[in-house]
Amino acid sequence: MKSIKLTLWLKLFWMFLKINLLSTSGPSSIGLLYKESVGTIMTEKQFVEAVGFSHLLPGSEALKLAMFVGFAAGGIPGTLVALLGSILPPTVMMLGVVTLLQRFKGEAWMQGFVMGLSPAVAVVILVVAWNLFRSEKSIPRQILLIAVLSFLAFLLAVPSPIVLVGAGILGVILIR
Amino acid sequence: MPTLVQLFWLFIKVNLLTTSGPASVGLLYKESVGILMTNADFVQAVSFSSILPGSDALQLAMFIGYSVGGILGALVALLGSILPPTLLMLGVVSILNRLRREAWVTRFVSGLTPAVSILMVFVAWQIFNSSNNGSIAWQTLLIAVGSLVVLLLEAPVPLVLFAAGLLGVFIF
Repeated sequence: MKSIKLTLWLKLFWMFLKINLLSTSGPSSIGLLYKESVGTIMTEKQFVEAVGFSHLLPGSEALKLAMFVGFAAGGIPGTLVALLGSILPPTVMMLGVVTLLQRFKGEAWMQGFVMGLSPAVAVVILVVAWNLFRSEKSIPRQILLIAVLSFLAFLLAVPSPIVLVGAGILGVILIR
Repeated sequence: MPTLVQLFWLFIKVNLLTTSGPASVGLLYKESVGILMTNADFVQAVSFSSILPGSDALQLAMFIGYSVGGILGALVALLGSILPPTLLMLGVVSILNRLRREAWVTRFVSGLTPAVSILMVFVAWQIFNSSNNGSIAWQTLLIAVGSLVVLLLEAPVPLVLFAAGLLGVFIF
């Protein structure tokens, strides 16, 4: 019994290690995760549930998805193993890259690289914002109203967390 | 020490108010640039966390943590990002089915979404403007338009960012 559990944990750990090395973000890891987990450690229904639910709760999507899959496969210990497997690769890589970058900071080509990145990052953020906004097929009036109100609030320099919490509360009241 | 506490609280807050890595960029910008780090550092953090494999959100958190407080800062930021979803998960998973029927959680997140999008538009504008001193350079405009076109053609984001950086090395 004990060794069966251990094998499952190892399998989970290796699976998330692999996914986090092969994909660069939460949404893009879903496809890979599906192929690796459905049929082997969980059913398709469980997977769909996990994806749906990780959109629903606040916090990093990728982590929540990993923990849901881990939970479905092996309860609370499975959750923790999946979490660990997801955290390890980015942590190690980031610390490596960050120490390396520190060395290049003053170099002229590095400054050019960052200057080239800025407009591209701005555009990426815009595109993500657009995708997020029209994620529901038709945009209901309430959503539009919240968007307009937040726009005004940001123009008036209301602190962002307050605007977000307000928008959430409006959602609870307005959306049926 | 106060900075580390500040850092921890920042990531707890960001992870409670946004639902995914890319969407958290807007709030993170507002709460950290000018307070904990410079605009250039932030752009670097967003780009590298997108180019490197692994969860964007975590890498972004660690990058910001590192530029504020070294390795220790990176670990504090990581902890702040992991804690809210983990606790939620462990707490929620047992009452998962009941909570799903609790529609207010869904509605709260639905209300959050348009506000998060608008916030991101503001931040995108700020980042775009940061590289210009008063007037917009043709290089900046070229890269912005080019990125928009290839992104609309569904080119992968890490690739677009990497190419933009490379272009920057040559034309600036």
